[in-house]
Amino acid sequence: MSFIHIAFALILLLAIAAGLFRILAGPTAADRMMAAQLFGTCGVAIMLLLAEGMESPVLLDIALVFAILAAMATITFVRRAWHSSENVGEMNENT
Amino acid sequence: MRILNDIGLLFIGIGMLFFISGTIGLLRFPDIYTRLHAMTKADNVGLGLLVLGLSCQADSWQTVARLIFIWILVLIASSASCHLVARSALQKNIQPWSRP
Amino acid sequence: MTDNILAAFDLVLITTLLLLAWKLLSCEDIFTAVVLFISFGLLMALAWVRMRAPDVALAEAALGAGLTGPLLLAALRRMERIRKYERRLDLDEERNDYKKPKKKQAPPL
Repeated sequence: MSFIHIAFALILLLAIAAGLFRILAGPTAADRMMAAQLFGTCGVAIMLLLAEGMESPVLLDIALVFAILAAMATITFVRRAWHSSENVGEMNENT
Repeated sequence: MRILNDIGLLFIGIGMLFFISGTIGLLRFPDIYTRLHAMTKADNVGLGLLVLGLSCQADSWQTVARLIFIWILVLIASSASCHLVARSALQKNIQPWSRP
Repeated sequence: MTDNILAAFDLVLITTLLLLAWKLLSCEDIFTAVVLFISFGLLMALAWVRMRAPDVALAEAALGAGLTGPLLLAALRRMERIRKYERRLDLDEERNDYKKPKKKQAPPL
């Protein structure tokens, strides 16, 4: 158990809780998605710090899974979801 | 060994500063491009310094190899998705913010 | 000392999870709900780690945060496409209704 690592993990968790505001109030869809990606990176960092702080190296594997699957949501968003959701807004503005 | 531990803590602290500034940039910046700029710094440099600090404190070479592998994966993922989002935002004619 | 900071970590984690779940359920925009669901899966994996169940956390990280998010985004795209397709169907029906009387009226003349 190491105090300083868990304290750093707590700071990162507070940063996630602050970034929640950007997801709720983001003007465009891309802002929300990129905030979710920052959450993913912060989650990886918290996992690494907890693996040192709780002395269980298994958590490195969970961080590895997070890192592998981090880009999936954003790439799917750019390829599939962004076009349609922005078009709906433009159509509402035009009509 | 003791001084290596302290150097690791210093690196982790600097990386934490990058994460906090990335979150503040996400909250305060006016545009999608500037937010992308702030966020990718948190992804690459912040996590890189964190991995550097943790690998100064690590016990074995296998842990260091796993940490660096995680960092390289996050680097590929974040730079690829940042490039995709910025390029398709330009293609959708979202204008960059300029000082009024 | 360490137990205190762990308790503070758990408290912040539980509060953020509850806030996230409330916002997720009371959200009107579907896309925002999907993004909130992705971050909910991530924080839920952290909660499983704190409950000392790393195997469940691994499954939650792979399924909840990694795979369900892209699946929901693709489903959202397909839903909107179906909605547009229905709108086009309506337009075609109106057009057919508009054309049919002409064709029917043409033969008697």
